[in-house]
Amino acid sequence: MLGRFAPGVCTQVTMVVNQQQNRNMATLKAISIRLKSVKNIQKITQSMKMVSAAKYTRAERDLKAARPYGEGASQFYEKAEVSAPEDEPKQLYIAITSDRGLCGAVHTGVSKVIRNRLSEPDADNIRVICVGDKSRGILQRLYGKHIITVANEIGRLPPTFLDAAKLANAVMNSGYDFGSGKIIYNKFRSVVSYSQADLPVFSKKAIESAPKLAVYDSLDSDVLQSYMEFSLASMLFYALKEGACSEQSSRMTAMDNASKNAGEMIDKLTLTFNRTRQAVITRELIEIISGAAALN
Amino acid sequence: MSTWRMAGLNYVNYSNIAAKTLRKTLKSEFREDALRRDQTFIKIFFWMNGNQLGLGEKLKTDKEKT
Repeated sequence: MLGRFAPGVCTQVTMVVNQQQNRNMATLKAISIRLKSVKNIQKITQSMKMVSAAKYTRAERDLKAARPYGEGASQFYEKAEVSAPEDEPKQLYIAITSDRGLCGAVHTGVSKVIRNRLSEPDADNIRVICVGDKSRGILQRLYGKHIITVANEIGRLPPTFLDAAKLANAVMNSGYDFGSGKIIYNKFRSVVSYSQADLPVFSKKAIESAPKLAVYDSLDSDVLQSYMEFSLASMLFYALKEGACSEQSSRMTAMDNASKNAGEMIDKLTLTFNRTRQAVITRELIEIISGAAALN
Repeated sequence: MSTWRMAGLNYVNYSNIAAKTLRKTLKSEFREDALRRDQTFIKIFFWMNGNQLGLGEKLKTDKEKT
């Protein structure tokens, strides 16, 4: 009977030992799986950083070339002292963002400026054009009624003047007769800093009634119309370029931080992994030694 | 009034057509680079009351409404 009994006890004991070992093995395994996934994430964020660094250098070079477009156009409004017409309360806000995330607070910053404006009491006369899916996503739920145009497929490639021209056409053909407006975009300052800025947009009527328009020579209505169309396109172009540049630089820092954080996590996980492994080994040693001692 | 405006173009369209023609006349070593600037992928949708309108549809102007 005893002989029959013994194998059963034996299997029970080994099962318990197996379970205990399994539990330790499981945590060890869980940690190593996690460690592996964090390492993979770090690799991804690092390569994303490299990609955006390359895109950023290009965007910055492009931005230098695009700057005169925007500055020239806004200088005209400044020199002619164009101001928003008081009898036309309709305003247009254009949010310049892009479709892609993982780049810090670039898109939220722009959307926040517009959201703050829309939460003011006289917001009924404001309409918004969202350039890029991100601003649409943020503004859609609360202020969907204010959105008249959405443009997407932005941010995959650097913006071209043709993109800006298409946008300008959309602004002009949207059927919304605004008196004045603003283009809200991220102005690039340096690799680590950008801030929200705006460019003015005016209706033709507002420009015609500007007090200092006479400083410009030989202007007739036709020239003014053409210039207005062109300046809208070039300001949009400039804003798109500034936005793209700050987005890439911001993505670069965001991905750099992500890689750094992943590195920290890897360090901590390796430490706990090694500690657990040590603990398992120590416990096994204790078991063996105490087992040997019990035999004596 | 200029002829292109009478044809229903605005200045942006007009100058884009001119730019396109100019790009085509460039020497082949410069043309490739210039043609890269000649593409656009941006898509535009008009919205009304928080809903997207179909492609080609757009807001009615005040004049059309009355």
